[in-house]
Amino acid sequence: MSQERSQREWKWLARAAWALGLLIGVGALAVILASPAVNPLSLLPGHDGTWEAMQSRGVWRVGMDPSFPPFESLNEEGQPVGYDVDLARRMAAEWGLEAEIVAMGYDSLLDALQADRIDSVVSALPYDPRETKDFRFSPPYFEAGIRLAVPVGSLIGDVDALDGHTVAVEWGSMGDMVGRRLKREDTAIELVQVPTPEEVLDALATGKADAALIDNVTLRQAQGRGAQVIAVGPALESNPYVIASPHKASKLGDQIAETLTRFQENGVMAELEETWFGPPPAP
Amino acid sequence: MSNHSWRTAALAALALILIGLLIWRPWRSGRPVSLGPQQQVETINPKMGVHTRLTDEVEPAKIKRTLEMVREMGAPWIVEYFPWAYIQPRPDTRNWVHADDVVNHANRQGLTLVARLGFVPEWARPKGTTPLYLDEEHFEDFGRYAAEFVTRYAGKVDYVIIGNEPNLALEWGYQPVDPAQYVRLLQVVYPMIKEASPDVQVLAGALAPTLAPPGSEWGVNDLDYLQAMYDAGAADYFDMLAIHAYGGVFSPDEPAATDEINFRRAELLRQIMVENGDEHKQAMITEAGWNDHPRWTRAVRPGQRIEYTIRAYEIAQDEWPWLDAIAMWVFRFPWDQKSYQDYFTFVDTDFEPKPIYEEVQRYARGETP
Repeated sequence: MSQERSQREWKWLARAAWALGLLIGVGALAVILASPAVNPLSLLPGHDGTWEAMQSRGVWRVGMDPSFPPFESLNEEGQPVGYDVDLARRMAAEWGLEAEIVAMGYDSLLDALQADRIDSVVSALPYDPRETKDFRFSPPYFEAGIRLAVPVGSLIGDVDALDGHTVAVEWGSMGDMVGRRLKREDTAIELVQVPTPEEVLDALATGKADAALIDNVTLRQAQGRGAQVIAVGPALESNPYVIASPHKASKLGDQIAETLTRFQENGVMAELEETWFGPPPAP
Repeated sequence: MSNHSWRTAALAALALILIGLLIWRPWRSGRPVSLGPQQQVETINPKMGVHTRLTDEVEPAKIKRTLEMVREMGAPWIVEYFPWAYIQPRPDTRNWVHADDVVNHANRQGLTLVARLGFVPEWARPKGTTPLYLDEEHFEDFGRYAAEFVTRYAGKVDYVIIGNEPNLALEWGYQPVDPAQYVRLLQVVYPMIKEASPDVQVLAGALAPTLAPPGSEWGVNDLDYLQAMYDAGAADYFDMLAIHAYGGVFSPDEPAATDEINFRRAELLRQIMVENGDEHKQAMITEAGWNDHPRWTRAVRPGQRIEYTIRAYEIAQDEWPWLDAIAMWVFRFPWDQKSYQDYFTFVDTDFEPKPIYEEVQRYARGETP
């Protein structure tokens, strides 16, 4: 008898707890939905408030630090110009929007993104795997890392062919670090360490060095000025530039990725690179 | 199953859990890492140092490797941060495990450790304040932490720095910057440290080089701040002055000027010490250096960074008898900061030496460039 009573009490308690939980859940949902700061649609999976806000204002707010030509700088009229500026405008146009360039210091860019002051960062921003929890990164659109550069017509096709050759590097630079690493790993090279990137390219042009280890931005700028130098093999120290958006901006992230792919396929990226770096030499 | 069988099975399960915990715990914490044999630093310049950043380095093997590499570079001094909040997260709790690792490995590598103390635990500050906020009500709590620290590490840590860059609002917990209040902190903490360990040298200052104009909400000019410290009676409450001497875009031979931030600004701070009767005291540069970020406006070329760094070590050794050591910011970070800060380091996060490491090492060995 007492066991039956105890079972009845347990059942009653379980039902009461379930009902109380339901009441609390419904109450919490009502409070959330009643808050003017919360758009109920934002609670739906796949909803992207950043993308919707861009559509309603007709503007993509793009943060950049205009101090890094040819990617972004200010012209004589104080207007932002450069590869990233054009890229942002071309992408916005694809979406029927205008790109509003918001200039700020480099170290403030991701903070501004988190604070919803901008929608994306397009500013020669290196990919940071540690930040993927907070930000949505696009596929790389420019590889700025260390490349093995050789004169046009050189027989050196990659680092495996470097044994017995001289390699120019800027003293102390990342290229120098890669060169020292290759030596530690028993690649038989002689490093020609010079003070500036310009002297690295001079060493290559004058035959003082057979190859060079240099970042791809400097290399592409030199190519644009007519240097008969090409990059061979993959980047030896990768530094890919990406576009960053808020992590929750799934639709915007998809649009950026799709548009970059389309721009790769239809030649827009090559056109932008040629505009801001000049044409690469024929291999 | 009988009661006896149940009991046996339960005891066996408990034993297995205990064995599992014994195996798992050392693996989880990365322990133990042997200290290894006693080492000593070989260098032509005994004033060379670096600021390590082991605060967030959780793996003992990496703490050891960092300090080995400092020794192998030829720098006998390190400055390291020991956050109060990490060691005393609650008033009645102490966690010395990480600090013990750093101190013991540094000692075994033959390094002289300068401990920077700060970072206020939540229980010692009002809610909503930053960990750099320390009000007068808790000066004694901080003093007790400092006294415990020097007692625990007596004979192993002979130098402690009280606070960091108190002339910046950020570093003063966004309170109004107030040299007199910092001096009151020294007046509370200094006697407590000296009572606990009379031979420990207490460093004050560690002021941020800044040209902040009068009335700035961000900070106070470091030269003005130091004079204000003396005016508030600081002289009897510190043994050495800690100096921050960043070079910016200038060579270390650029002359000092009151309206310029450069390496030799340290000489202006020294002059203020002398003018206030403290010429008998030594100083120590606990942060300095040049940066070679490709796009930071206050950076130099990588080769210049190497030249300037070595030249700064030479100046400390040859020209500044009042200086005991110079620690360059920063030897290594546990992970990439993905900002200009990465371009202050000497080795990568994975311990690959940067060219500056190898060039400084060559200098310390007396090899000609």
